[in-house]
Amino acid sequence: MILSLPLLAEPQHFSLLEKLSFAALTIASAYGFWRRFGPILNKILHSKKDPGFHLFPIGRRIWDFVWEVLCQAKVVRERALPGLAHAFVFWAFLAFALVTLNHCAIVFGIGFLSPSGVIGRFYFYVAALFAVTCAAGILGLFVRRFLVRPKWLGEHLSWESGVIASLIFALMATYLASFWVIATSPAARALWWIHSLALLIFLPLIPHTKHLHLVLSPATIFLSRGGFSQIPPLAGDEDFGLVAGTDLTQLVSLQAYSCVECGRCTEHCPAANTGKLLNPKEIILGVRAYLNDLGPASDQPLLGKYNSQQAVFQCTTCGACEFQCPVGIEHVPILVGLRRGAVNTGAWEDQHGSKLFLALERGSNALGLSPAERDKFIQKQALPIFDGTQEHCLWLGCMGGYDPKGREIIADFARVMNYLGTSYGVLRKEKCTGDPARRLGNDLLFQQLAEANLEALAQNKVKKIVSICPHCVRTIQEDWKEYGTPPEIEHHSEFLARFADKLPHPSKNGKDSADETIVFHDPCYLGRYRNVYEQPRAVAALAGTVIEAPRNHERSFCCGAGGGLAFLGEETGERVSHNRAAELVATGAQTVGTACPFCNTMFRDALAATGDAPPKLLDIAQLAARGLPIAQSD
Amino acid sequence: MKIIVAIKQVPDRDAQIRIDSAGTWIEESNLQYALNESDAYALEEALQLKEKHGGEVIVVSAGPERIGQTIREALAKGADRAIQIDCDNMADRDALGVARLLAAAMQPENPDLILTGLQSEDLGLGQTGVIVAELLGLPHATLILHVEKTETGLTVKRELEEGWFQSIELPTPAVLTIQSGGNKLRYATLMGIKRAKTKDVRRLTAAELVPSNQTAVPVVTLVQVTLPPKQKSTQILSGTAKEAAEALVEKLKFEMRVL
Repeated sequence: MILSLPLLAEPQHFSLLEKLSFAALTIASAYGFWRRFGPILNKILHSKKDPGFHLFPIGRRIWDFVWEVLCQAKVVRERALPGLAHAFVFWAFLAFALVTLNHCAIVFGIGFLSPSGVIGRFYFYVAALFAVTCAAGILGLFVRRFLVRPKWLGEHLSWESGVIASLIFALMATYLASFWVIATSPAARALWWIHSLALLIFLPLIPHTKHLHLVLSPATIFLSRGGFSQIPPLAGDEDFGLVAGTDLTQLVSLQAYSCVECGRCTEHCPAANTGKLLNPKEIILGVRAYLNDLGPASDQPLLGKYNSQQAVFQCTTCGACEFQCPVGIEHVPILVGLRRGAVNTGAWEDQHGSKLFLALERGSNALGLSPAERDKFIQKQALPIFDGTQEHCLWLGCMGGYDPKGREIIADFARVMNYLGTSYGVLRKEKCTGDPARRLGNDLLFQQLAEANLEALAQNKVKKIVSICPHCVRTIQEDWKEYGTPPEIEHHSEFLARFADKLPHPSKNGKDSADETIVFHDPCYLGRYRNVYEQPRAVAALAGTVIEAPRNHERSFCCGAGGGLAFLGEETGERVSHNRAAELVATGAQTVGTACPFCNTMFRDALAATGDAPPKLLDIAQLAARGLPIAQSD
Repeated sequence: MKIIVAIKQVPDRDAQIRIDSAGTWIEESNLQYALNESDAYALEEALQLKEKHGGEVIVVSAGPERIGQTIREALAKGADRAIQIDCDNMADRDALGVARLLAAAMQPENPDLILTGLQSEDLGLGQTGVIVAELLGLPHATLILHVEKTETGLTVKRELEEGWFQSIELPTPAVLTIQSGGNKLRYATLMGIKRAKTKDVRRLTAAELVPSNQTAVPVVTLVQVTLPPKQKSTQILSGTAKEAAEALVEKLKFEMRVL
């Protein structure tokens, strides 16, 4: 069967003039590439070394490379159709590596794939299949960019993208056409030359445009810090975060040059979606423009002409941008890095921000209340004090200890733990974990809080913590590591899900709540940051039927509180919480289920604003406690 | 403008206070300390004056070793240098005794302006700044919310009772005691703390500042300190929401006098 298929036509002999012209054009093309790429590489390499960077363990890097680069998993999963079209183009490029080498080699009579040999024939046919899907893919992407024009790609049409798409299409078309001409014909020679010219024009265009990601993004993904939103340590006495060009690290510069401007970050950004100044894509491009204009040795401030301080402080650190990015850009550490630069040097002046910092400098909690209030709450609820004999330390956090809604969540979670017979206790004294200080870039304050808490936990011999707040969980487990070894910690959704079968299940017993529909809102710091999606749903399912909002799981939309923004006063534009609340209400659910006291407090007001009969708002601990016998309630 | 700010380290607002065995002072072990609040505002006023008019801000404090922490915080917020007066037996000194130490340390500096907090959060005497002025023979004004430098001296805004303010002009050098709330305090920064490490802290001892033959017996002595008795008087305002709100406004206006 294979014998009946046509053979790839390769010109047989090349004249000296052809050989010389091809060699000259190749050198010119390579020079054109290097002339632009060399300085970029130079800027990346001459950026500051990344403090705390380790190549090992390398397994995670190899996996990321295989999954995200070779399999194009993120590209496809988060935007199925254009992602698949991109994957076809990418895979064709891989398949064409050998074809292209052979294509160039035959000019000099050193071709290594014979169109009539078994291996060569087979390989050329495989490549032809890739060429067909690639041509279809690039056509689709062309139509999307120039006719459909999704707003995330930006307002300005990128003519370079059109040229690049045409070149790729020409490469595939000339390759496929070569199967239908005779090797000795002038047509075969013409196709060979068109293919060659397309290649040689393509090469120098790569570093000129966002197609630089072809060269850089595999390295960016392989070298990324890993984890999620890993904030790097500061190095030495003169490192205050991203203040000037001299503070840009190699990873930041590499990431800035890798941006492919697809706008996925912006598409999912709560700030960009509610009329704020912040646009995560523009932040990255701002850093790139800075590097282009001034380079990594400049002491000009990063905030000002190239990026706005106002925008940087509108980030909720929800991480949707970083999660979506297909080329391995870690937006949150860059945004937090810019904030560190502004806060650690005192350049950021904000009435609410200063108030928060001063409250945490002198007091114990982000709400600025007296710790006596927490003591009263502990007494009123008769919460046991942790004395080293209990298994779990119940971490109250600022919201659990001081906020009325947060206290309700703690009270119900305590009821559930009492019912399960869990041994637990609360610390006599707790300080804020430092989450808002960390995300707002106040390293001094964060360090003080982390160290004070680590000391208190060690003194109390705490081994295991359970917390109702995903922000506390994240900060204790990951961010405190810079200053010591935090105890094991889990979120109450993980705790409750483990005991779900021991808890009453009113929705199965035909009680009132049997038909209750609950829409679960994924908190950013539980979902994207901790990869916990199913446990809170399993707990919510105890009380009713869990339904999904359009944006759910890793695409969940922030409540607007993260990154310290809960404490920074009124937002500009639409409130993030109102945007999300409207979406949750539109599901028709009777109850909104949350698993974070910050989400809870944001939605408390936002739901009330959606109409006269807003759905109920309950934490999963409250849902779990619902079915408990009344006798257990005190 | 050379400005000296006298600061005091006091027990942290959130600290659990216990009375010591003698019943004349508080138990100081395991106690957390912080910068006295109105002194923080005095420092802020000094820093803002320096930012506007140039010059130098020097902080002065007297106390045991632990005050070094509070001095470093003041340097981190922007003071240029510090004078730390080592003095362990602060509880044995009355306001006059402390003022003598401060004045003796300040005099050789010939400052244009001396600022300090209106009163301390622990003893709350409100005397120290005024006595310093007296000892140095300088004009003074108390309860100051705002300081404006003029060609001949200063114009200051002084807080009176019931929401009244007084504007006063006085020549320099002068001593002002600063009321809390006149400015927005700045937060401490990492850069400030790192820079503070290299700033000069001059150590003086009480003995070298005030010769022992001049240390008079304290005029004021603490006889006894007690914790305030707990009391709680919750009132439930009955009636419709409107009536209850009216009653609440009435109470806030005329009983509590906060409206």
